[in-house]
Amino acid sequence: MIQTFTQLDLIRFIYNETTNEQHRNIELALLCNNELMEEYKSLKLTVNSLHKVSYTPSNSTIENILNYSKSSNLSSV
Amino acid sequence: MNNIELSDSKLVSLYIKGNEESFEVLLNRYKSKVFTNIYLIVKDTYIAEDLTQDTFIKAIKTLRSGRYNEEGKFKPWVLRIAHNLAIDHFRRNKRYPTIVMEDGSNVFNTLEFSEAPYENFQVQEDTKKKLRSFIEELPENQREVILMRHYQEMSFQDIAESTDVSINTALGRMRYALINLRKKMKQHKIAYDSNIYPT
Repeated sequence: MIQTFTQLDLIRFIYNETTNEQHRNIELALLCNNELMEEYKSLKLTVNSLHKVSYTPSNSTIENILNYSKSSNLSSV
Repeated sequence: MNNIELSDSKLVSLYIKGNEESFEVLLNRYKSKVFTNIYLIVKDTYIAEDLTQDTFIKAIKTLRSGRYNEEGKFKPWVLRIAHNLAIDHFRRNKRYPTIVMEDGSNVFNTLEFSEAPYENFQVQEDTKKKLRSFIEELPENQREVILMRHYQEMSFQDIAESTDVSINTALGRMRYALINLRKKMKQHKIAYDSNIYPT
């Protein structure tokens, strides 16, 4: 089978940044190529694991912001 | 308040009219993006906390004063405030601060995770800690592309422009980052989450 895309295109595919045509071509290639499918699954699962992580400020910072908002609202009344 | 139904534009409008709850929705919607944006520049969680607070307070002041004119585009506006404050801080200090915390813990100790009810809590927490450390151990350019793509929702084109590299370089860094993370997960026998297996 002639590979019409690169490993970088697979990354685009995983992150939904391919064109519709590229998307269809890669889907077909994945169905025909077990090795490629395993690579896709492995990368995709790693990506999904990252979804468990998020950066967020502390609760005290959030409370400070909300308190400031409330106090500024009162002072503007 | 049903924050799924309300657009940023509507929430801003309600807030300007005095509805406090609408700002809380906006804050919860964008706090992680703002925090991540700042952290990527200052690389210090304590400073990122302060600048996140400054960002939203500046936004509040602008909204309250009636000077907000972003035509409903709250997200890029607040992210731009965050970016500018972080850059100002960086310029004032003329160098990147270190990532090591006062108590010796690593910067990722302040990260939070979404809940997954199917996992044992302790196992889940251990897995999260390991994932945090794996991300931290990545080379800087690989860690950066993960942070930008996953936590700032930047496209690879945006990442390429922001980091002044080609889009293929940005994609390549992501690929190596994922491969490196996968290797570390295998080495430490961290099981993939079967509930999120691709269909």
